[in-house]
Amino acid sequence: MTWDAYLQGKSGLVHAPTGTGKTYAVWVPPLLNWMDNYSSSFPHKAPPLKVLWLTPLRALVEDTKRSLCEIVDKLELPWTVEARTGDTSGNTKVKQRKKFPSALVTTPESLSLLLSYPDTIRSFSELEAVIVDEWHELLSSKRGTQTELGLARLRKWNPKLRIWGLSATLGNLEQAMKSLLGNENQGQLINGEIRKKFVVKTIIPKNMEKFPWAGHLGGRLVEQVAKAIEKKLTTLVFTNVRSQTEYWFDAILSIRPHWKEQVGIHHGSIDRKQRTLIEKRLKNGEIKAVVCTSSLDLGVDFSPVEQVIQIGGPKGVARLLQRAGRSGHQPGAISSILCVPTQAMELLEYAAARKSIVAKEIEAREPLKAPLDLLSQHLITLALGGGFKEEETLSEVKSTWSYRNLSLQEWKWTMEFIKKGGKTLGAYDQFKRVVLEDGLYQVQSRRIARFHRMSIGTITSDPSIIVKFQTGKKLGSVEESFISRIQIGSNFFFSGKLLTLIRVRELTAVVRLAKTGKGTIPVWGGGKSPLSSELAKSVRKEIEMFRLGKINEPEIKALEGILSLQQEWSYLPSYSELLIEKTITKDGNNWFLFPFAGRLAHEGLASLIAYRMSKLEPMTLSISFNDYGLNLTTNSKKDLTITEWQKLLTPDDLIEELLDCMNRSEMAKRQFRDVARVAGLIFQGYPGAQKSIKQVQASGGLFFDVFSKYDPENLLLVQARKEVLERQLEAKRLIEKLTEIKTQKIVLKSTRNLTPFSFPLWAESLRTQVTSESWSDRVQRMAKELEDKF
Amino acid sequence: MNTTISISWNGHEFNLLADRAVFWNEQKTIFIADPHFGKASSFQYCGIPVPEENTLEDCERLTLLIEKTGAENVIFLGDFFHARSGKTNEIRTILLNWRKKVQKTNLYLIRGNHDFNAGDPWPELKIKSFNDPTTLLGIECRHLPVKYSENPYLAGHIHPGFSFRGKGKSTIRSSCFVVNSKYIILPAFGSFTGLKNVKFGRGDQIFITNGDEIFEIPEIKS
Repeated sequence: MTWDAYLQGKSGLVHAPTGTGKTYAVWVPPLLNWMDNYSSSFPHKAPPLKVLWLTPLRALVEDTKRSLCEIVDKLELPWTVEARTGDTSGNTKVKQRKKFPSALVTTPESLSLLLSYPDTIRSFSELEAVIVDEWHELLSSKRGTQTELGLARLRKWNPKLRIWGLSATLGNLEQAMKSLLGNENQGQLINGEIRKKFVVKTIIPKNMEKFPWAGHLGGRLVEQVAKAIEKKLTTLVFTNVRSQTEYWFDAILSIRPHWKEQVGIHHGSIDRKQRTLIEKRLKNGEIKAVVCTSSLDLGVDFSPVEQVIQIGGPKGVARLLQRAGRSGHQPGAISSILCVPTQAMELLEYAAARKSIVAKEIEAREPLKAPLDLLSQHLITLALGGGFKEEETLSEVKSTWSYRNLSLQEWKWTMEFIKKGGKTLGAYDQFKRVVLEDGLYQVQSRRIARFHRMSIGTITSDPSIIVKFQTGKKLGSVEESFISRIQIGSNFFFSGKLLTLIRVRELTAVVRLAKTGKGTIPVWGGGKSPLSSELAKSVRKEIEMFRLGKINEPEIKALEGILSLQQEWSYLPSYSELLIEKTITKDGNNWFLFPFAGRLAHEGLASLIAYRMSKLEPMTLSISFNDYGLNLTTNSKKDLTITEWQKLLTPDDLIEELLDCMNRSEMAKRQFRDVARVAGLIFQGYPGAQKSIKQVQASGGLFFDVFSKYDPENLLLVQARKEVLERQLEAKRLIEKLTEIKTQKIVLKSTRNLTPFSFPLWAESLRTQVTSESWSDRVQRMAKELEDKF
Repeated sequence: MNTTISISWNGHEFNLLADRAVFWNEQKTIFIADPHFGKASSFQYCGIPVPEENTLEDCERLTLLIEKTGAENVIFLGDFFHARSGKTNEIRTILLNWRKKVQKTNLYLIRGNHDFNAGDPWPELKIKSFNDPTTLLGIECRHLPVKYSENPYLAGHIHPGFSFRGKGKSTIRSSCFVVNSKYIILPAFGSFTGLKNVKFGRGDQIFITNGDEIFEIPEIKS
């Protein structure tokens, strides 16, 4: 189907689960199209650049190139296929720019960089198609928006350009296609799904009484996991976060020490060389199991994989499908996934996910709305790449899905920003990134050109500490905040090894293998994705079924004791009820709410309630949250009635109040770091950079302070706040939830003990405080706390 | 409101000011480290749009400080300018105007690493520059702190900051003075400057300031 559509000159999106041969579906048509030009024999000369292949990860570029080459070789075509990423040598890059291969495999950043060279338009003149691989992965990120803008430029050069995307199954495929092809353009959505069977199985802990409530990472089930690994040739063990990977790798090896050479570890912070090695061994079938994170969600097929194990809740249906799809690549094979709970409630998620898969309730991924940091980066890129005209470019930018509703005010501000650096810089003429000459906006300063090119592609990278052996061998990277808490001479787990920290110098931590002993496991920031709305809904349905006495899933059967206990000690809320529990512990008054809206929305909600409560009467509250509910602990004895709760939970003034909490908690400041980097404020430089470059580096927080003080209207500040609201606190979901709660019945229960629902929340160690004390009061209080400790 | 903390240090009375400066009453002298004047301008030179208002504001802060204390001398402990590219005409005008306001004050500078790149201040500013270290008014003044020094000294360069955690997730991070019988390390005076976290060394006292108030942090023994 794709072949016909392509040959007719159409664009579109092919969606199918991983490993169903999507690559061939879009790679063969351009080759066929080219072969059509020749009746008998093909020329020996390689055609000029015909196909641009974009892939989300640098690590995938080489693999993709290899599989594209295989087909070209089989067909004995003269096409050349090359890769181009940040790792490609400067020499090769220059050569490529002189003469491009017939197909170039690259990343969105590299495409952006190419657009910054004026001669690219000429080299791309015969470009026929752009293929965007794993579009679902890029879609709702800034790199996705970067791709949209890049494609808009290529479409402008060649309105007949075919654009084809490959995506996993999503809940919003139409939108995904629009954002790829441009808002106004028609395309064909092709379902490449081969009826593949999915089976979701769960390891149900034998002894439910001893079952760890608050997680403890499900360590008791290690033996069962090891047994499952034994039964199959090759297994992928997925965890949700990097620290769990380290934990499980160590746990498995501690009960099966002889597997040392046959079990690997793979996550995003491990050095690339190590990761590539593991991937290679996996492909060759030389390895028994790999413990990994979503770092192995993507990528070229690992055919030998027979079994997939998911540790912890899947949090989303799409993700579970994606992971399950990693196994059973043999034709006709079944994709099965074995789930291992790390806390009781996750059993509910497995049962719910199984039903959602059948009902095809799969999450959507939303493209970003008009990020201005990226727009200013892109405009400077265009100014470099031969200059741009304002009117034309505005309509080009607005042809993308992301910027389709860009306001004139936003556009004008961005133009001011790249010309003069915004309002406040008006008086200084030495700041001129972009100048207008002959109706074209251009970059004339070579210095600015160089800086800009170096900063493209720093969207995702975070400064981190490189972990190295004394011999210089790299192990990977950890966050600075983690290393700063480790004392010299003490141990930590990383890359599957127990290491002793020898010293930290600049951005490198030097380590050696530890002889014996215990170690801490680093926790990387971000990472934890919230329970999706779709899955949350499904989970509530399972609870509803239980209330009705319909127990047909094995996981729910296993949970019977726990759910009954919840019912006995407190209450099991129905679909139209919100349960609030109040329990007095030695920490004070604990309020537990169970909206089932995912951890991010709960964080937002908890901060909001805390803020509203502290306005009623001065108090200090600490909050904690998980995917099912949230907890507020206060030393205030105040009791709250249902009417008072309704007021605390009103959706009125939500955004204003959330913004206010956000300013107090410095969340916006943290987010500004990212925005500033993309907009070209933070220049990260490169190893061995000249001193002059180091002198123009400042932290995101510092920029945030300067702008807040002298240029509070700066739209980049506005954007940082918006990103916190939308991405970190899921404001949209929060509004929906509060609107829903308004119609729900609030069930208020005072319980004597912590309940099955509330215990994990109470035990949640990550507690955030909401306070309205002044700087000096806080310093004095915290200093006293410190003194009391010693 | 605690805006000043007096310490006696090697037989001298020094006031640590919340305004990120040290005042020596006996000699009517203010010590300032790392103002990094014109830093935002050097960012602009490289195409990074940051408003340059800090230099003006920092100058005004310094004028107030001189008036308030009645200081006759100001000693800059290095990094007067951020970079050569930041020495623009605007910055020059700002600094010359400021100099007119504090005509009577004697200004001294210990050259810091940034000053070597940027060059000495314009002669009209009438600032006497010295190499690091130099003894002025009987006190050893340095830009770069050193591990071993014969004499106790005052220095800058580090931009020290202190961060600590309280209960829950709450943290505080502010610039600080590090005081020891051997040295006083001053926080950076410039408001567009970053911080580098420091820890307690043996015998250190740490005083944190947010610009308005100053507190001593109790030492944590771990």
